[in-house]
Amino acid sequence: MAHEILHEQEIAHAEDTIEVPAERERPRVKAPLIEIPTRWVKILKDMWGNKTRSLLVIFSIAVGVAAIGMIRTGRDVIENDLFAPFLLTNPSSASLYIAPLFDTDLAHAVEGMPEVERVEARRTVAAFAFDPQGKKWDFGMEAVPDFKDIRVNQFDVEKGIGTPGVREVLLERRSADSLGVTVGDVVTVQLPDKNTYPLTVVGIVHDLSKIPPFLFNETNAYVTMDTLRWMGQGDGYNRLDVITSEPSTSRAHVVEVASQVRDRTLEPAGYALGSIAFGGFSSKPRSFWSQDQINGINVVLNAMSIMCMLLSGGLVINTISAILTQQVKQIGVLRSIGGRRAQIIEMYLTNVLVFSVLALIIAIPLGLLGGFGLASFFADRLNFDVRGVSLSPSTLLIQVAAGLLIPLGAALLPVIAGTNISVYDAVYQYGISGSGRNGIIDRQLNRIQTLTRPLAMSIRNTFRNKARLGFTLATLTLAGAMFISVFSTRASLGAQITEMQRYLLFDVTVPIPRNISVYIAEREARRVPGVAVAEGWANTRANVIHADNSEGGEVEIRTTPDKSITIAPEMVAGRWLLPDDGRNVVISYDVLDHEPDLKVGDSLTLSINEKQRTYHIVGIASRHINRYVVYMDYGQFVKATGWADPVSEVRIRVDPAHLGTRPQQEAVAKAVEQHFRDAGISQSHPHILPETLDQISKSFDIVLIFLIIMASLLSIVGGLGLAGTMSMNVMERTREIGVLRAVGASSRAVRRIVLFEGMVVGLTSWLLSVLLSYPLGKGLSDSVGVAVFHSASPYTYSWQGMIGWLVLATLIGAAASLAPARRASRLTVRQVLAYE
Amino acid sequence: MSTNGNGHKHKHNNGHEHSEHLIDLRDLVKVYRTPAGDFPALRGINLKVGRGEFVSVVGKSGSGKTTLINMITGIDRPTSGEIVIANAPVHSLNEDQIAQWRGRNLGVVFQFFQLLPTLSVIENVMIPMDLCNTYPLRERRGRAMHLLELVDIAENANKLPSEISGGQQQRAAIARALANDPPIVCADEPTGNLDSVTADAIFDLFADLVSNGKTLLMVTHDEDLADRAQRKIVVSDGNIIAGETV
Repeated sequence: MAHEILHEQEIAHAEDTIEVPAERERPRVKAPLIEIPTRWVKILKDMWGNKTRSLLVIFSIAVGVAAIGMIRTGRDVIENDLFAPFLLTNPSSASLYIAPLFDTDLAHAVEGMPEVERVEARRTVAAFAFDPQGKKWDFGMEAVPDFKDIRVNQFDVEKGIGTPGVREVLLERRSADSLGVTVGDVVTVQLPDKNTYPLTVVGIVHDLSKIPPFLFNETNAYVTMDTLRWMGQGDGYNRLDVITSEPSTSRAHVVEVASQVRDRTLEPAGYALGSIAFGGFSSKPRSFWSQDQINGINVVLNAMSIMCMLLSGGLVINTISAILTQQVKQIGVLRSIGGRRAQIIEMYLTNVLVFSVLALIIAIPLGLLGGFGLASFFADRLNFDVRGVSLSPSTLLIQVAAGLLIPLGAALLPVIAGTNISVYDAVYQYGISGSGRNGIIDRQLNRIQTLTRPLAMSIRNTFRNKARLGFTLATLTLAGAMFISVFSTRASLGAQITEMQRYLLFDVTVPIPRNISVYIAEREARRVPGVAVAEGWANTRANVIHADNSEGGEVEIRTTPDKSITIAPEMVAGRWLLPDDGRNVVISYDVLDHEPDLKVGDSLTLSINEKQRTYHIVGIASRHINRYVVYMDYGQFVKATGWADPVSEVRIRVDPAHLGTRPQQEAVAKAVEQHFRDAGISQSHPHILPETLDQISKSFDIVLIFLIIMASLLSIVGGLGLAGTMSMNVMERTREIGVLRAVGASSRAVRRIVLFEGMVVGLTSWLLSVLLSYPLGKGLSDSVGVAVFHSASPYTYSWQGMIGWLVLATLIGAAASLAPARRASRLTVRQVLAYE
Repeated sequence: MSTNGNGHKHKHNNGHEHSEHLIDLRDLVKVYRTPAGDFPALRGINLKVGRGEFVSVVGKSGSGKTTLINMITGIDRPTSGEIVIANAPVHSLNEDQIAQWRGRNLGVVFQFFQLLPTLSVIENVMIPMDLCNTYPLRERRGRAMHLLELVDIAENANKLPSEISGGQQQRAAIARALANDPPIVCADEPTGNLDSVTADAIFDLFADLVSNGKTLLMVTHDEDLADRAQRKIVVSDGNIIAGETV
């Protein structure tokens, strides 16, 4: 109906065209090269005219999109350049340590078993080597039957040759870096018997199965059996690297096959299976040594990038709302000159689309660069090569989809709401805000009479536009909760390490070879000046045997001296060992990870040196972080192992009352090392406590660095959101501010009202963050704990994080309101009238 | 030129009475609901304006004159009554239909000009043509320039509104109101923010438009200017107390 009339009108008014006088000379019209519809000109000019705000939106979208790209690209690189090449090395399902030494016939026999796919014999010898600075490194040597035909855990030759001769050595590339040698150099190797042997480096290899030296100070080398014979080592192999039949990556299957190998091949041939190693920290056979940790980190980073994107969406909502608020009158004018609502919605959504496209232009290469950085960071730590980064179609698709759809989706609501205003309201009513403030919060705030007027105004103003406040608070609260959670995660892991110190209350520890008596080791240690206490500890490996006689997880058996001062166990259940406690044992809580049904009072059967013995659990000690430990009486340990006066390490204290300082520890370590060497007790390098703890800390520092970067990004996004909100608030209350100034408010008073308002929002978000940070922090701490240590750490809430965020939230609140406050304080009564 | 309240009427096929008058307001009531209670701004207005008339609307503050003009422009909606403009039942159109109708049929001039601040003067004149798609893209700039010449500010075409004087801004706003060549121009206090010399010039411009066939309604406080219009309507307490008919 209306359209018919409009049609008639079109025809009608066509007759009324204004005639422009032809005789007047027209000024030159500066026409652009390409004429585009004026409404799009407006959008572009609006964007250009408010560069800060435009950059704010573009940056906030770009941050989220780049984070997605970085994480996905980094993950792709790790997948393509680490995991895929790793699988090409024929990684073993498990390494079986066998005694006594054997020849390749045994390997062939094992390979003949139907449960076994492929086998390779190896000989491992532990030694030491020194770098040019004199630092002593553990030096693990391996010999293989044929360097030209390595069948399992293959490596690539990067420099020199791949087949060493007698007195020659191949070094893993990171080990060569650590030792500061290259092809042609000579590395001096010291065996535990103190004899040293010069080996010429003839090749540098890249072996993905080896843990780089930065983590455990252990370097890796390859020599021939002839070289080992030259070094006085016995002839034969001591390890079988096995790839089982499928499923070769199933831990249960691999353990079962190892049992079959032991029962059907090793033991009938007179060999004993000492232990089974799966390599590194990974729980899954045939996976990269830190695959679990990488996967865990990926999960956490993914969650963070999604959160970043959601916060970006929140910021888009805030900023688009700000634009619409600022342009309410313009929307009214556009409608008054014929603009339909759909056209105006289209204009603002196009605006968002332009922001998104610009953000994508920045974010896609930035994400690629970030992915390269992330992968390079991991490559450096994990010893692999980044062959190049490429943007996968799926990553590009997700980035484009997230970069376009999330901002558009986020903007849709404010655009629809903002354009739903009549010309009358937009042109004549806008700027007179909130007359009907009658909510519960408003009423309560109005009752507060003790505050100064400006402060009371700031607090009341904060709660005037509750929807906007809600969005701002949500953004800042999430950022704050994540910030505190990262600190809580750090505190939890730190507390876990500190907690673990109760099992490491020594200044120095020295590994002792098996042939030394505990009495001699302790006595010689006490002879070293500065040593106040020396405790001989012994340990060995064993396997848990289940009731159905199946083999369970591997555990470490430890025996401690009576009244040891280098351990202060925290009992989760039951009690600690008493002197002469018979077959009573205490297990670490970690053992329950693999044997969850064990409890105080249960029997525990262990296979120690191929003999099964049953013990009685009297206590469960707190977590040791990935250490499956069974503590037992010294006498029982001797009975179980059959060793006379066994000792595996000597733990030393410089003062019985407290731990020594690091210089004291270093001095004693040096003196003990020298003395033990001179006395022929141990050639091993002593470890001081801080070094031990450093090694543990290093493994989760990487994760925390990334979490802190992401939390900082979230804080920036949250701060930008608040800045947008404060701008909108000032804009909407221009008329009020004019009135305030008209009744005598100074610039300082106006500025203070706005600043206080920002800080009130900051503080409110802090309160909410504190509430949210507890569960969020626990989730994050558990995830990182599982990723890094395979077990969730006991949760420690970070008060420092909470206080830190209080300071930051207040600062963000103040900083975000600074510019709007300045703008508000500069408004004059005349300008406010002009705002009409 | 003018018509009285007894003009010929017949039923239009859409159910509304067809009017021979360009603007026909019938029993128009507008009540604002405020926290302090209902405020009747218009109390049953009947008004007819013929094609080519120059009508001034005067009255004290709060008398309802701006409300009256807002009813005609479709900027505000009546509580009851009918608004028929060039046979279009404006009161029954929805917001989008009104916007489209207004863009093509009625130019609005505000007291505070309301030019879009980021667009140049010529772009401000071009944007109604874009929104209503009334002229081909390549013709819009030329037409906008013609209109700026008409209002005598062609030399400021590429300046931003903030770079020109209030009088020039109002001229630009008038050019924008004429962009889609509407038969009616409504101006709400168009000289309220201008000095008397500039106000006179704007009035002369309006008079020129009327002489070129436009129908012009102007709300003003300025009795002298109001008297110079062909017809003066006086509004008081929501009623037309003078000038309802000529």
